[in-house]
Amino acid sequence: MKEKILSIIYAALNDASEELGKPELARPGPETHLYGRKGHLDSLALVNLLADVEQRVADDLGKAIVLADERAMSQKRSPFATAGTLADYIELLLSEG
Amino acid sequence: MDWLIDRLRSFAGKSALADGGKVYTYAQLAARIEEHGSLLAARGVQPGRVVALVAEYSFDSIALFFALVRHRTIVVPVTTGVGGELDDRFADAFVDDVIRIEDDISIQPGPPRAGGTHALVQRLRDAGHSGLVLFSSGSEGKPKAMLHDFDNLADHYRARPARDSVMMVFLMFDHIGGMNTLLNCLAMGALMVIPDSRVPERVCSLIEQHKVQILPASPTFLNLVIISEAFRHHDLSSLRLVTYGTEPMPESLLLRLSEAFPGAKYLQTFGTSETGIAKTSSLSCTSTLMKIDDPDQEYRIVDGELWLKSKTQILGYLNAPMDGFTDDGWFKTGDLVETAADGFLRIVGRRKEVINVGGQKVMPAEVESVLLTAPGVEDCMVFGEANALTGQAVTADVVLGEPRPPLAVKKALRLFLRTKLDAYKIPTRINVVDRTNFNQRFKKIRHKDDSSPGGSV
Repeated sequence: MKEKILSIIYAALNDASEELGKPELARPGPETHLYGRKGHLDSLALVNLLADVEQRVADDLGKAIVLADERAMSQKRSPFATAGTLADYIELLLSEG
Repeated sequence: MDWLIDRLRSFAGKSALADGGKVYTYAQLAARIEEHGSLLAARGVQPGRVVALVAEYSFDSIALFFALVRHRTIVVPVTTGVGGELDDRFADAFVDDVIRIEDDISIQPGPPRAGGTHALVQRLRDAGHSGLVLFSSGSEGKPKAMLHDFDNLADHYRARPARDSVMMVFLMFDHIGGMNTLLNCLAMGALMVIPDSRVPERVCSLIEQHKVQILPASPTFLNLVIISEAFRHHDLSSLRLVTYGTEPMPESLLLRLSEAFPGAKYLQTFGTSETGIAKTSSLSCTSTLMKIDDPDQEYRIVDGELWLKSKTQILGYLNAPMDGFTDDGWFKTGDLVETAADGFLRIVGRRKEVINVGGQKVMPAEVESVLLTAPGVEDCMVFGEANALTGQAVTADVVLGEPRPPLAVKKALRLFLRTKLDAYKIPTRINVVDRTNFNQRFKKIRHKDDSSPGGSV
Protein backbone atom coordinates (compact mmCIF):
# COMPACT_ATOMS: atom_id res chain seq x y z
CA MET A 1 0.00 0.00 0.00
CA LYS A 2 2.81 2.40 0.90
CA GLU A 3 4.27 2.05 -2.60
CA LYS A 4 0.91 2.80 -4.19
CA ILE A 5 0.49 5.89 -2.02
CA LEU A 6 3.99 7.08 -2.82
CA SER A 7 3.37 6.67 -6.54
CA ILE A 8 0.26 8.83 -6.20
CA ILE A 9 2.28 11.54 -4.41
CA TYR A 10 5.01 11.34 -7.06
CA ALA A 11 2.50 11.75 -9.87
CA ALA A 12 1.10 14.84 -8.15
CA LEU A 13 4.63 16.19 -7.63
CA ASN A 14 5.40 15.66 -11.31
CA ASP A 15 2.46 17.87 -12.23
CA ALA A 16 3.54 20.44 -9.65
CA SER A 17 7.05 20.41 -11.04
CA GLU A 18 5.75 21.23 -14.48
CA GLU A 19 3.32 23.86 -13.27
CA LEU A 20 5.74 25.61 -10.95
CA GLY A 21 8.76 25.23 -13.20
CA LYS A 22 10.67 23.37 -10.45
CA PRO A 23 12.75 20.55 -12.01
CA GLU A 24 13.88 19.44 -8.53
CA LEU A 25 10.38 18.00 -7.98
CA ALA A 26 10.40 16.02 -11.22
CA ARG A 27 12.21 12.99 -9.76
CA PRO A 28 10.76 12.72 -6.29
CA GLY A 29 11.63 10.15 -3.63
CA PRO A 30 10.51 9.55 -0.04
CA GLU A 31 13.01 12.15 1.18
CA THR A 32 11.81 14.91 -1.16
CA HIS A 33 11.08 17.91 1.02
CA LEU A 34 7.65 19.38 0.62
CA TYR A 35 6.89 22.10 3.14
CA GLY A 36 8.99 23.53 5.92
CA ARG A 37 12.59 24.67 6.36
CA LYS A 38 13.97 22.71 3.41
CA GLY A 39 10.69 22.54 1.55
CA HIS A 40 10.24 23.11 -2.15
CA LEU A 41 6.66 24.32 -1.82
CA ASP A 42 5.09 27.47 -0.45
CA SER A 43 1.77 27.20 1.37
CA LEU A 44 -0.26 27.78 -1.76
CA ALA A 45 1.62 25.11 -3.69
CA LEU A 46 1.17 22.77 -0.73
CA VAL A 47 -2.59 23.37 -0.70
CA ASN A 48 -2.67 22.52 -4.39
CA LEU A 49 -0.55 19.42 -3.98
CA LEU A 50 -2.75 18.14 -1.17
CA ALA A 51 -5.93 18.74 -3.17
CA ASP A 52 -4.34 16.88 -6.05
CA VAL A 53 -3.33 13.96 -3.88
CA GLU A 54 -6.80 13.82 -2.29
CA GLN A 55 -8.34 13.60 -5.73
CA ARG A 56 -5.94 10.91 -6.91
CA VAL A 57 -6.52 8.84 -3.76
CA ALA A 58 -10.25 9.08 -4.39
CA ASP A 59 -9.84 8.12 -8.07
CA ASP A 60 -7.27 5.34 -7.62
CA LEU A 61 -8.15 3.90 -4.22
CA GLY A 62 -11.81 4.82 -4.00
CA LYS A 63 -11.37 6.49 -0.58
CA ALA A 64 -12.24 10.06 0.32
CA ILE A 65 -9.66 11.59 2.64
CA VAL A 66 -9.01 15.13 3.87
CA LEU A 67 -5.37 16.10 4.18
CA ALA A 68 -5.50 19.79 4.99
CA ASP A 69 -7.34 19.92 8.28
CA GLU A 70 -6.78 20.62 11.96
CA ARG A 71 -5.78 17.07 12.67
CA ALA A 72 -2.95 17.18 10.16
CA MET A 73 -1.82 20.49 11.61
CA SER A 74 -1.71 19.13 15.12
CA GLN A 75 0.43 16.06 14.42
CA LYS A 76 3.67 15.96 16.40
CA ARG A 77 5.66 15.57 13.22
CA SER A 78 4.27 17.50 10.31
CA PRO A 79 2.82 15.11 7.72
CA PHE A 80 3.82 17.66 5.12
CA ALA A 81 7.59 17.59 5.70
CA THR A 82 8.48 15.07 3.01
CA ALA A 83 6.80 12.79 0.49
CA GLY A 84 7.50 9.95 2.91
CA THR A 85 5.85 11.58 5.94
CA LEU A 86 2.85 12.44 3.80
CA ALA A 87 2.59 8.82 2.64
CA ASP A 88 2.73 7.64 6.28
CA TYR A 89 -0.07 10.01 7.21
CA ILE A 90 -2.23 8.93 4.27
CA GLU A 91 -1.64 5.29 5.20
CA LEU A 92 -2.81 6.10 8.74
CA LEU A 93 -5.96 7.79 7.44
CA LEU A 94 -6.72 4.89 5.10
CA SER A 95 -6.19 2.32 7.85
CA GLU A 96 -8.93 4.00 9.85
CA GLY A 97 -11.32 3.27 7.01
CA MET B 1 -51.80 55.21 -9.02
CA ASP B 2 -54.68 56.46 -11.15
CA TRP B 3 -52.23 58.00 -13.59
CA LEU B 4 -51.06 54.54 -14.60
CA ILE B 5 -54.57 53.21 -15.15
CA ASP B 6 -55.42 56.32 -17.19
CA ARG B 7 -52.32 55.76 -19.22
CA LEU B 8 -53.18 52.12 -19.91
CA ARG B 9 -56.57 53.26 -21.20
CA SER B 10 -54.97 55.88 -23.43
CA PHE B 11 -52.87 53.22 -25.16
CA ALA B 12 -56.20 51.61 -26.16
CA GLY B 13 -55.64 49.34 -29.16
CA LYS B 14 -51.88 48.89 -28.73
CA SER B 15 -50.63 45.44 -27.84
CA ALA B 16 -49.87 45.12 -24.14
CA LEU B 17 -49.16 41.51 -23.25
CA ALA B 18 -48.27 38.38 -25.17
CA ASP B 19 -49.18 35.45 -22.97
CA GLY B 20 -49.61 31.80 -23.91
CA GLY B 21 -50.16 32.32 -27.63
CA LYS B 22 -52.51 35.28 -27.19
CA VAL B 23 -51.82 38.97 -27.51
CA TYR B 24 -53.93 41.31 -25.37
CA THR B 25 -54.41 45.02 -26.00
CA TYR B 26 -54.14 47.81 -23.46
CA ALA B 27 -57.91 48.31 -23.72
CA GLN B 28 -58.42 44.65 -22.80
CA LEU B 29 -55.99 44.97 -19.92
CA ALA B 30 -57.73 48.11 -18.59
CA ALA B 31 -61.10 46.37 -18.89
CA ARG B 32 -59.85 43.29 -17.05
CA ILE B 33 -58.46 45.48 -14.26
CA GLU B 34 -61.97 46.98 -13.90
CA GLU B 35 -63.55 43.54 -13.75
CA HIS B 36 -61.13 42.31 -11.13
CA GLY B 37 -61.65 45.54 -9.18
CA SER B 38 -65.38 44.87 -9.04
CA LEU B 39 -64.71 41.33 -7.95
CA LEU B 40 -62.51 42.51 -5.08
CA ALA B 41 -65.17 44.93 -3.92
CA ALA B 42 -67.88 42.28 -4.21
CA ARG B 43 -65.80 39.79 -2.22
CA GLY B 44 -65.19 42.28 0.55
CA VAL B 45 -61.44 42.75 0.11
CA GLN B 46 -61.02 46.12 1.83
CA PRO B 47 -58.41 48.75 1.05
CA GLY B 48 -55.44 48.47 3.39
CA ARG B 49 -55.56 44.66 3.55
CA VAL B 50 -52.38 42.72 2.96
CA VAL B 51 -53.14 40.39 0.07
CA ALA B 52 -50.91 37.58 -1.13
CA LEU B 53 -51.19 36.96 -4.86
CA VAL B 54 -49.96 33.45 -5.60
CA ALA B 55 -49.34 33.41 -9.33
CA GLU B 56 -46.89 33.56 -12.19
CA TYR B 57 -46.98 36.41 -14.67
CA SER B 58 -50.04 36.13 -16.91
CA PHE B 59 -52.62 38.47 -18.41
CA ASP B 60 -54.95 37.70 -15.50
CA SER B 61 -52.41 37.91 -12.70
CA ILE B 62 -51.13 41.25 -13.99
CA ALA B 63 -54.67 42.62 -14.25
CA LEU B 64 -55.38 41.38 -10.74
CA PHE B 65 -52.19 42.92 -9.43
CA PHE B 66 -53.15 46.35 -10.73
CA ALA B 67 -56.72 45.93 -9.52
CA LEU B 68 -55.27 45.25 -6.07
CA VAL B 69 -52.92 48.23 -5.96
CA ARG B 70 -55.60 50.49 -7.38
CA HIS B 71 -57.83 49.21 -4.58
CA ARG B 72 -55.05 50.41 -2.22
CA THR B 73 -54.23 47.01 -0.81
CA ILE B 74 -50.73 45.85 0.05
CA VAL B 75 -49.84 43.12 -2.41
CA VAL B 76 -47.48 40.24 -1.69
CA PRO B 77 -46.73 38.55 -5.03
CA VAL B 78 -45.57 35.00 -4.48
CA THR B 79 -44.70 32.67 -7.33
CA THR B 80 -45.88 29.11 -7.06
CA GLY B 81 -42.30 27.82 -7.10
CA VAL B 82 -41.93 28.79 -3.44
CA GLY B 83 -43.71 25.56 -2.43
CA GLY B 84 -43.70 24.69 1.24
CA GLU B 85 -42.41 28.10 2.27
CA LEU B 86 -45.73 29.73 1.39
CA ASP B 87 -47.12 29.68 4.92
CA ASP B 88 -43.95 31.21 6.34
CA ARG B 89 -44.15 33.97 3.78
CA PHE B 90 -47.79 34.67 4.57
CA ALA B 91 -47.01 34.87 8.28
CA ASP B 92 -43.91 37.04 7.81
CA ALA B 93 -45.75 39.51 5.60
CA PHE B 94 -48.83 39.78 7.89
CA VAL B 95 -51.03 38.50 5.06
CA ASP B 96 -54.77 38.98 5.59
CA ASP B 97 -56.06 37.41 2.37
CA VAL B 98 -54.65 34.90 -0.08
CA ILE B 99 -55.65 35.04 -3.73
CA ARG B 100 -54.93 32.22 -6.13
CA ILE B 101 -55.63 32.13 -9.82
CA GLU B 102 -56.52 28.66 -10.93
CA ASP B 103 -59.59 27.91 -13.08
CA ASP B 104 -61.24 30.59 -11.09
CA ILE B 105 -60.04 33.28 -8.72
CA SER B 106 -60.09 32.06 -5.13
CA ILE B 107 -59.88 34.40 -2.16
CA GLN B 108 -59.16 32.84 1.19
CA PRO B 109 -58.20 34.21 4.60
CA GLY B 110 -54.50 34.22 5.47
CA PRO B 111 -53.12 32.22 8.39
CA PRO B 112 -54.54 33.20 11.78
CA ARG B 113 -52.34 35.46 13.86
CA ALA B 114 -52.47 36.64 17.43
CA GLY B 115 -51.71 40.35 17.21
CA GLY B 116 -52.67 43.12 14.83
CA THR B 117 -50.74 44.15 11.80
CA HIS B 118 -47.23 45.61 11.53
CA ALA B 119 -46.72 49.29 12.33
CA LEU B 120 -45.33 49.94 8.83
CA VAL B 121 -48.40 48.37 7.24
CA GLN B 122 -50.55 50.58 9.43
CA ARG B 123 -48.58 53.60 8.26
CA LEU B 124 -49.38 52.79 4.62
CA ARG B 125 -53.03 52.25 5.49
CA ASP B 126 -53.18 55.60 7.22
CA ALA B 127 -51.62 57.27 4.19
CA GLY B 128 -54.10 55.53 1.89
CA HIS B 129 -51.32 54.18 -0.30
CA SER B 130 -50.95 50.82 -1.95
CA GLY B 131 -48.04 48.62 -0.96
CA LEU B 132 -45.81 45.90 -2.32
CA VAL B 133 -44.01 43.26 -0.30
CA LEU B 134 -41.02 41.55 -1.89
CA PHE B 135 -38.93 38.83 -0.28
CA SER B 136 -35.15 38.71 -0.30
CA SER B 137 -33.56 35.55 -1.61
CA GLY B 138 -32.72 33.98 1.68
CA SER B 139 -29.16 33.39 0.53
CA GLU B 140 -28.08 35.27 3.65
CA GLY B 141 -30.47 33.64 6.09
CA LYS B 142 -34.24 33.74 6.36
CA PRO B 143 -35.91 35.65 3.48
CA LYS B 144 -36.68 39.20 4.53
CA ALA B 145 -40.11 40.69 3.82
CA MET B 146 -39.57 44.17 2.40
CA LEU B 147 -42.37 46.69 2.30
CA HIS B 148 -42.49 49.24 -0.53
CA ASP B 149 -44.90 52.13 -0.84
CA PHE B 150 -46.15 51.05 -4.27
CA ASP B 151 -47.63 54.45 -5.21
CA ASN B 152 -44.22 55.91 -4.64
CA LEU B 153 -42.40 53.14 -6.49
CA ALA B 154 -44.70 53.39 -9.52
CA ASP B 155 -44.27 57.18 -9.63
CA HIS B 156 -40.64 56.60 -10.52
CA TYR B 157 -41.88 55.31 -13.93
CA ARG B 158 -44.29 58.15 -14.58
CA ALA B 159 -41.90 60.21 -16.71
CA ARG B 160 -41.25 57.35 -19.16
CA PRO B 161 -42.10 58.54 -22.67
CA ALA B 162 -44.51 56.48 -24.75
CA ARG B 163 -42.62 54.12 -27.01
CA ASP B 164 -43.42 51.28 -29.41
CA SER B 165 -41.16 48.55 -28.23
CA VAL B 166 -41.36 44.87 -27.50
CA MET B 167 -39.80 43.62 -24.32
CA MET B 168 -39.38 40.15 -22.87
CA VAL B 169 -39.99 39.79 -19.15
CA PHE B 170 -37.41 37.52 -17.66
CA LEU B 171 -37.92 37.76 -13.92
CA MET B 172 -41.20 37.28 -12.09
CA PHE B 173 -43.18 39.87 -10.22
CA ASP B 174 -42.02 38.64 -6.86
CA HIS B 175 -38.66 40.14 -7.87
CA ILE B 176 -37.79 43.82 -8.17
CA GLY B 177 -36.28 43.14 -11.61
CA GLY B 178 -39.51 41.58 -12.87
CA MET B 179 -41.54 44.40 -11.33
CA ASN B 180 -39.24 46.91 -13.01
CA THR B 181 -39.83 45.35 -16.44
CA LEU B 182 -43.59 45.34 -15.88
CA LEU B 183 -43.77 48.97 -14.80
CA ASN B 184 -41.42 50.08 -17.58
CA CYS B 185 -43.45 48.31 -20.25
CA LEU B 186 -46.82 49.55 -19.10
CA ALA B 187 -45.67 53.12 -18.48
CA MET B 188 -44.25 53.26 -22.03
CA GLY B 189 -47.07 51.42 -23.75
CA ALA B 190 -44.73 48.65 -24.84
CA LEU B 191 -45.62 45.05 -25.58
CA MET B 192 -44.45 42.71 -22.84
CA VAL B 193 -43.84 39.11 -23.87
CA ILE B 194 -44.30 36.55 -21.09
CA PRO B 195 -42.26 33.41 -21.79
CA ASP B 196 -43.94 30.11 -20.92
CA SER B 197 -40.54 28.57 -20.25
CA ARG B 198 -37.03 29.85 -19.70
CA VAL B 199 -35.31 27.22 -21.78
CA PRO B 200 -32.95 29.17 -24.11
CA GLU B 201 -34.43 27.54 -27.21
CA ARG B 202 -37.95 28.60 -26.22
CA VAL B 203 -36.95 32.13 -25.27
CA CYS B 204 -35.17 32.56 -28.62
CA SER B 205 -38.18 31.22 -30.49
CA LEU B 206 -40.43 33.78 -28.73
CA ILE B 207 -37.97 36.57 -29.58
CA GLU B 208 -38.26 35.58 -33.23
CA GLN B 209 -42.05 35.21 -33.12
CA HIS B 210 -42.79 38.54 -31.42
CA LYS B 211 -39.79 40.43 -32.79
CA VAL B 212 -38.63 41.20 -29.28
CA GLN B 213 -36.35 44.24 -29.13
CA ILE B 214 -35.37 44.33 -25.49
CA LEU B 215 -34.23 41.30 -23.54
CA PRO B 216 -33.44 41.65 -19.85
CA ALA B 217 -31.50 38.61 -18.62
CA SER B 218 -28.81 37.40 -16.28
CA PRO B 219 -25.27 36.61 -17.47
CA THR B 220 -25.82 32.96 -16.51
CA PHE B 221 -28.83 32.75 -18.81
CA LEU B 222 -27.10 34.58 -21.65
CA ASN B 223 -24.23 32.11 -21.44
CA LEU B 224 -26.75 29.25 -21.76
CA VAL B 225 -28.09 30.88 -24.92
CA ILE B 226 -24.57 30.81 -26.33
CA ILE B 227 -23.57 27.30 -25.30
CA SER B 228 -26.91 25.78 -26.35
CA GLU B 229 -26.38 27.52 -29.71
CA ALA B 230 -30.06 28.47 -29.49
CA PHE B 231 -29.20 31.83 -31.02
CA ARG B 232 -28.19 30.09 -34.27
CA HIS B 233 -31.58 28.44 -34.73
CA HIS B 234 -33.71 31.59 -34.69
CA ASP B 235 -33.81 34.96 -36.33
CA LEU B 236 -32.94 37.30 -33.47
CA SER B 237 -32.24 40.32 -35.62
CA SER B 238 -35.06 42.25 -33.90
CA LEU B 239 -33.00 42.48 -30.68
CA ARG B 240 -31.82 46.03 -30.08
CA LEU B 241 -30.92 45.96 -26.43
CA VAL B 242 -29.85 43.25 -24.02
CA THR B 243 -29.86 44.34 -20.41
CA TYR B 244 -28.09 42.28 -17.82
CA GLY B 245 -27.95 42.36 -14.09
CA THR B 246 -28.37 40.34 -10.88
CA GLU B 247 -24.74 39.17 -10.94
CA PRO B 248 -21.40 40.39 -12.33
CA MET B 249 -20.99 40.06 -16.09
CA PRO B 250 -17.74 38.37 -17.13
CA GLU B 251 -16.15 40.66 -19.72
CA SER B 252 -15.19 37.60 -21.76
CA LEU B 253 -18.87 36.60 -22.01
CA LEU B 254 -19.84 40.11 -23.06
CA LEU B 255 -17.41 39.84 -25.97
CA ARG B 256 -18.83 36.48 -27.06
CA LEU B 257 -22.36 37.90 -26.83
CA SER B 258 -21.45 40.83 -29.05
CA GLU B 259 -20.32 38.33 -31.67
CA ALA B 260 -23.49 36.25 -31.32
CA PHE B 261 -25.91 39.23 -31.46
CA PRO B 262 -24.07 41.85 -33.47
CA GLY B 263 -27.11 44.12 -33.80
CA ALA B 264 -27.78 44.50 -30.09
CA LYS B 265 -26.49 46.98 -27.58
CA TYR B 266 -25.67 45.88 -24.06
CA LEU B 267 -26.63 47.69 -20.91
CA GLN B 268 -25.85 46.82 -17.32
CA THR B 269 -28.83 47.34 -15.03
CA PHE B 270 -28.43 47.77 -11.34
CA GLY B 271 -30.71 47.76 -8.39
CA THR B 272 -31.65 46.08 -5.18
CA SER B 273 -34.98 44.96 -3.76
CA GLU B 274 -34.40 47.48 -0.99
CA THR B 275 -33.81 50.54 -3.19
CA GLY B 276 -35.44 49.77 -6.53
CA ILE B 277 -33.80 49.74 -9.95
CA ALA B 278 -31.50 52.65 -10.79
CA LYS B 279 -31.19 54.19 -14.23
CA THR B 280 -27.78 53.26 -15.55
CA SER B 281 -25.67 53.68 -18.63
CA SER B 282 -22.83 51.45 -19.79
CA LEU B 283 -19.55 52.91 -21.04
CA SER B 284 -19.81 50.79 -24.19
CA CYS B 285 -21.36 47.55 -25.36
CA THR B 286 -18.24 45.59 -24.58
CA SER B 287 -17.53 47.24 -21.25
CA THR B 288 -18.74 46.27 -17.82
CA LEU B 289 -18.17 49.82 -16.63
CA MET B 290 -21.42 51.62 -15.85
CA LYS B 291 -22.68 54.83 -14.43
CA ILE B 292 -25.62 55.35 -12.10
CA ASP B 293 -27.52 58.17 -13.77
CA ASP B 294 -30.66 58.57 -11.77
CA PRO B 295 -32.11 61.69 -10.20
CA ASP B 296 -33.92 59.47 -7.67
CA GLN B 297 -30.81 57.63 -6.49
CA GLU B 298 -27.70 58.79 -4.70
CA TYR B 299 -24.72 56.56 -4.21
CA ARG B 300 -21.44 56.52 -2.38
CA ILE B 301 -18.63 54.04 -2.05
CA VAL B 302 -17.47 53.09 1.41
CA ASP B 303 -14.52 50.67 1.75
CA GLY B 304 -15.12 49.52 -1.80
CA GLU B 305 -18.78 48.75 -1.08
CA LEU B 306 -21.60 50.49 -2.92
CA TRP B 307 -24.11 52.32 -0.73
CA LEU B 308 -27.40 53.60 -2.15
CA LYS B 309 -30.03 56.01 -1.02
CA SER B 310 -33.10 56.28 -3.20
CA LYS B 311 -36.51 57.84 -3.30
CA THR B 312 -37.91 54.40 -4.05
CA GLN B 313 -36.46 52.58 -1.10
CA ILE B 314 -38.44 50.32 1.17
CA LEU B 315 -40.26 51.57 4.24
CA GLY B 316 -38.65 48.71 6.10
CA TYR B 317 -38.59 44.99 6.76
CA LEU B 318 -41.64 43.33 8.27
CA ASN B 319 -39.72 40.45 9.82
CA ALA B 320 -36.17 41.67 10.33
CA PRO B 321 -34.24 44.57 11.87
CA MET B 322 -32.94 47.33 9.61
CA ASP B 323 -29.41 45.87 9.47
CA GLY B 324 -27.85 46.93 6.23
CA PHE B 325 -29.28 50.45 6.53
CA THR B 326 -27.42 53.24 8.26
CA ASP B 327 -29.26 55.54 10.67
CA ASP B 328 -29.36 58.21 7.98
CA GLY B 329 -30.96 55.91 5.44
CA TRP B 330 -28.09 54.60 3.32
CA PHE B 331 -28.45 51.00 2.17
CA LYS B 332 -25.23 48.98 2.15
CA THR B 333 -25.70 46.84 -0.94
CA GLY B 334 -23.02 44.25 -0.15
CA ASP B 335 -21.74 44.75 -3.71
CA LEU B 336 -18.08 45.59 -4.13
CA VAL B 337 -17.23 48.04 -6.89
CA GLU B 338 -14.18 49.40 -8.64
CA THR B 339 -14.19 53.00 -9.75
CA ALA B 340 -12.87 54.36 -13.02
CA ALA B 341 -12.62 57.84 -14.53
CA ASP B 342 -15.68 60.05 -15.10
CA GLY B 343 -17.84 58.43 -12.44
CA PHE B 344 -17.90 54.97 -14.01
CA LEU B 345 -18.17 51.92 -11.75
CA ARG B 346 -17.73 48.21 -12.16
CA ILE B 347 -19.50 45.65 -9.99
CA VAL B 348 -16.86 43.11 -9.04
CA GLY B 349 -18.87 40.83 -6.80
CA ARG B 350 -20.61 40.33 -3.51
CA ARG B 351 -18.75 41.14 -0.33
CA LYS B 352 -19.73 37.77 1.14
CA GLU B 353 -18.44 35.92 -1.91
CA VAL B 354 -14.91 37.27 -1.66
CA ILE B 355 -12.55 34.34 -1.19
CA ASN B 356 -9.77 34.94 1.31
CA VAL B 357 -6.72 32.83 0.45
CA GLY B 358 -4.20 33.31 3.21
CA GLY B 359 -5.14 36.98 3.52
CA GLN B 360 -5.31 37.68 -0.20
CA LYS B 361 -8.67 38.50 -1.70
CA VAL B 362 -10.04 36.73 -4.73
CA MET B 363 -13.19 37.83 -6.57
CA PRO B 364 -14.93 34.78 -8.10
CA ALA B 365 -16.10 36.81 -11.10
CA GLU B 366 -12.55 37.68 -12.11
CA VAL B 367 -11.47 34.04 -12.14
CA GLU B 368 -14.67 32.98 -13.93
CA SER B 369 -14.14 35.55 -16.64
CA VAL B 370 -10.68 34.15 -17.42
CA LEU B 371 -11.77 30.50 -17.10
CA LEU B 372 -14.48 31.10 -19.69
CA THR B 373 -11.80 31.93 -22.24
CA ALA B 374 -10.07 28.55 -21.74
CA PRO B 375 -10.47 26.06 -24.58
CA GLY B 376 -13.34 23.64 -23.95
CA VAL B 377 -14.88 25.50 -20.99
CA GLU B 378 -18.54 26.33 -21.62
CA ASP B 379 -19.56 27.52 -18.18
CA CYS B 380 -17.98 27.75 -14.78
CA MET B 381 -18.54 28.85 -11.22
CA VAL B 382 -15.85 29.81 -8.73
CA PHE B 383 -16.29 29.81 -4.97
CA GLY B 384 -14.34 29.45 -1.76
CA GLU B 385 -14.00 26.33 0.35
CA ALA B 386 -12.61 26.14 3.86
CA ASN B 387 -8.99 25.10 4.02
CA ALA B 388 -6.97 24.50 7.16
CA LEU B 389 -3.77 25.87 5.63
CA THR B 390 -4.90 29.06 3.92
CA GLY B 391 -8.26 29.71 5.56
CA GLN B 392 -10.02 29.34 2.26
CA ALA B 393 -9.05 27.86 -1.07
CA VAL B 394 -10.43 28.60 -4.53
CA THR B 395 -12.59 25.92 -6.13
CA ALA B 396 -14.03 25.93 -9.63
CA ASP B 397 -16.86 23.92 -11.10
CA VAL B 398 -16.51 23.73 -14.86
CA VAL B 399 -18.86 22.57 -17.59
CA LEU B 400 -17.04 21.14 -20.61
CA GLY B 401 -18.14 20.90 -24.22
CA GLU B 402 -16.58 17.45 -24.56
CA PRO B 403 -15.97 14.95 -21.77
CA ARG B 404 -12.30 14.70 -20.67
CA PRO B 405 -10.67 13.00 -17.66
CA PRO B 406 -10.93 15.34 -14.61
CA LEU B 407 -7.23 15.21 -13.70
CA ALA B 408 -6.17 16.08 -17.23
CA VAL B 409 -8.68 18.94 -17.26
CA LYS B 410 -7.37 20.27 -13.99
CA LYS B 411 -3.77 20.16 -15.17
CA ALA B 412 -4.55 21.82 -18.50
CA LEU B 413 -6.67 24.55 -16.91
CA ARG B 414 -4.14 25.33 -14.18
CA LEU B 415 -1.40 25.66 -16.79
CA PHE B 416 -3.71 27.89 -18.88
CA LEU B 417 -4.53 30.12 -15.91
CA ARG B 418 -0.93 30.40 -14.72
CA THR B 419 -0.04 32.96 -17.36
CA LYS B 420 -3.21 34.98 -16.78
CA LEU B 421 -3.84 35.14 -13.04
CA ASP B 422 -1.86 35.52 -9.82
CA ALA B 423 -1.03 32.13 -8.33
CA TYR B 424 -3.36 32.58 -5.34
CA LYS B 425 -6.34 33.14 -7.66
CA ILE B 426 -5.87 29.86 -9.51
CA PRO B 427 -8.37 27.23 -8.36
CA THR B 428 -6.96 24.54 -6.13
CA ARG B 429 -9.82 22.24 -6.91
CA ILE B 430 -11.42 21.96 -10.31
CA ASN B 431 -14.55 19.82 -10.51
CA VAL B 432 -16.04 18.79 -13.81
CA VAL B 433 -19.83 19.13 -13.53
CA ASP B 434 -22.82 18.78 -15.85
CA ARG B 435 -24.14 22.25 -15.02
CA THR B 436 -23.22 25.01 -12.65
CA ASN B 437 -25.31 25.62 -9.59
CA PHE B 438 -27.75 28.34 -10.58
CA ASN B 439 -31.21 29.03 -9.24
CA GLN B 440 -34.55 29.29 -10.99
CA ARG B 441 -33.80 32.92 -11.74
CA PHE B 442 -30.63 31.94 -13.59
CA LYS B 443 -28.31 33.40 -11.04
CA LYS B 444 -25.26 31.51 -9.81
CA ILE B 445 -25.29 30.29 -6.22
CA ARG B 446 -21.65 30.37 -5.18
CA HIS B 447 -21.76 27.82 -2.45
CA LYS B 448 -22.44 24.15 -2.68
CA ASP B 449 -25.13 23.31 -0.20
CA ASP B 450 -27.64 26.01 -0.93
CA SER B 451 -30.50 25.53 -3.30
CA SER B 452 -32.51 28.52 -2.08
CA PRO B 453 -33.73 30.80 -4.82
CA GLY B 454 -32.85 34.40 -5.44
CA GLY B 455 -30.02 36.67 -4.38
CA SER B 456 -29.34 40.32 -4.82
CA VAL B 457 -30.66 41.74 -8.04
